[in-house]
Amino acid sequence: MASSKSHIRRGTEDRLISLVVGVVMLLVFVATIYPFWYSILLSFNEGTDALRGGIYFWPRKFTMDNYAAVFGIEYVPTAFVVSVSRTLLGTVVAVAFTGLFAFACSHKRLMFRRFYITAMIIIMYFSGGLIPQYMLYKELKLMNTFWVYIIPNLFASFNAIIMMNFFREIPESLEESARLDGANDLRVFFQIILPISKPLFATMALYSGVWHWNAWTDSAFFVTDKNLKTLSNVMITLINQSESAAQTVFGQINQREITYTAMTLRPAAMVICVVPIVIVYPFLQKYFVKGLLIGSLKD
Amino acid sequence: MSRLSMLSTGIKENTKLGRTRRALRRFYAQRYLQLFAILGFVYMVIFSYLPMFGIQIAFKSFKPAMGFFGMFTAPLAPENGFYHFNTFFRDPNFSTVMRNTLLLSLLKLTLSFPVPILFALVINEMRGSFCKRIVQTVSYLPHFISWVIVYGLIFNFFNTSNGVINSLLQMAGMEKIEFLTGREYYYTLAVVSDIWKEMGWWSIIFLAAISGIDQTQYESARVDGASRMRCIRSITLPNISGTIIIVLILSIGSLMAGGMGGSNFDQSYLMGNTVNYTRSVTLPYYIYEMGLTKFRFSYATAIGLFQSLISLFLVFTSNFVSQKLTGHSFF
Repeated sequence: MASSKSHIRRGTEDRLISLVVGVVMLLVFVATIYPFWYSILLSFNEGTDALRGGIYFWPRKFTMDNYAAVFGIEYVPTAFVVSVSRTLLGTVVAVAFTGLFAFACSHKRLMFRRFYITAMIIIMYFSGGLIPQYMLYKELKLMNTFWVYIIPNLFASFNAIIMMNFFREIPESLEESARLDGANDLRVFFQIILPISKPLFATMALYSGVWHWNAWTDSAFFVTDKNLKTLSNVMITLINQSESAAQTVFGQINQREITYTAMTLRPAAMVICVVPIVIVYPFLQKYFVKGLLIGSLKD
Repeated sequence: MSRLSMLSTGIKENTKLGRTRRALRRFYAQRYLQLFAILGFVYMVIFSYLPMFGIQIAFKSFKPAMGFFGMFTAPLAPENGFYHFNTFFRDPNFSTVMRNTLLLSLLKLTLSFPVPILFALVINEMRGSFCKRIVQTVSYLPHFISWVIVYGLIFNFFNTSNGVINSLLQMAGMEKIEFLTGREYYYTLAVVSDIWKEMGWWSIIFLAAISGIDQTQYESARVDGASRMRCIRSITLPNISGTIIIVLILSIGSLMAGGMGGSNFDQSYLMGNTVNYTRSVTLPYYIYEMGLTKFRFSYATAIGLFQSLISLFLVFTSNFVSQKLTGHSFF
């Protein structure tokens, strides 16, 4: 009797928990997806039509014009080129530079190894802060150049630690046999380590690429030349564009008697910023859980 | 000279000259590795350690025109070098900046920190693995989107001319609300958007901890008739307490920057404006404002150092307290 009673109680509690879990999950899903979906549907809707309101689930007057128009806005095409180039170049050189350092430090036989690693760990926790950084870039003539996006981001301690942990797992015999064949460390790296570390380098490149694509503060702090601003940075002015100001800015691209409005151009620009990340997202996801755990728990 | 004495001098040489020669030979043998390591080290010296020594301008009367190395030669500031610190404490904005930073950080700590734990527990209780995967995958997408875009999404929803919320309010015959410029809405917007952006991401770490729990514990508890709530309370939570403490210490350490998401600066810069300034200005933003818009370099650096010292104090205190109370510590 008593046992069956407790069984029933557990049943109702069970169902209650399942209900709460279901509701919470649905809420999280909708709350995360809807803001993106709302931007997407606005970006495909005709501008003046959108101003009438009432579009919440599906575009009412479908058009692709907003996307063409975004690239007609001053500084957007250059910003797009700047962002793409900084992402590609910045990622390649950062992964190579950090990777070579990590490769060197993953060898126990490396002289002064502890010294190099300590130097790397200290900079994870202490930094000079904004102003000394600003003075340094000024001294190095990096201000207002494309290189301010690349050079200060060559090395990342966090990524170096992940890479070191990976290289350490590679069996030493593999390297040893190559060295017996007369290969030096440079050849070992390019002919043996690089090919078997492809997943690692792909992960690091994705991390770094997403970071570069999203970065906007360096562009705000160290670059005043409007032709060198990154897309994320230009987005800020685009988002803050009021409807009346938009009419004057976008007025010059009203060629085919289509009126563009800030309400639909803003989401179109936002979608352009998010699409590259969504494209690499499945790949990112494949590895980042592992990366996050190594980074947070092992150091 | 006999062979024996030659041999003994050879051994003597071996102890001094020989050792350096052997070290040099060893160094030469690994010259490529050394090259990579030294390149990285030189880079760190230039881009991290040199600026670190530049912090001394917090105690000096430094002018931007003095150049980078002027940071090391600038004269000492008045009041025994503490002029800029005292100026900050006398600054009419001091209480506003500190109140916003502390309140926002505490709000984020009390809300943004436990929410991912609860979310991880909820995901773990979910039965269907397909739905589970979908929701989880979707939930950490916002982490990879920049704050600029998140601000754009907020703008789409909360602006007064055609934002979703205000359109709905108008349809319901109510007054429009100035969410983005209204002072009273800033804290709510900042904390909620912080949770929205980082909840899924931080839940990963707790989920990983949960998945490491020995399943036999649950089985034997269920045999003893424990309910699902009881299992969460008595098995899941105690098992992930170590992870919770570590993440807590980490987030207390970055409290000034806005907790684990480190969002105070981005939010102040993007969501702040002249109307809500008294609520949106936080320490990281004030450093930027004083430094790069007002060009008060020594002053901005002094505030930055003040912020770093608070953070350092918080890390060590929370670490110490958690070690005493729970036995878990980070260092």
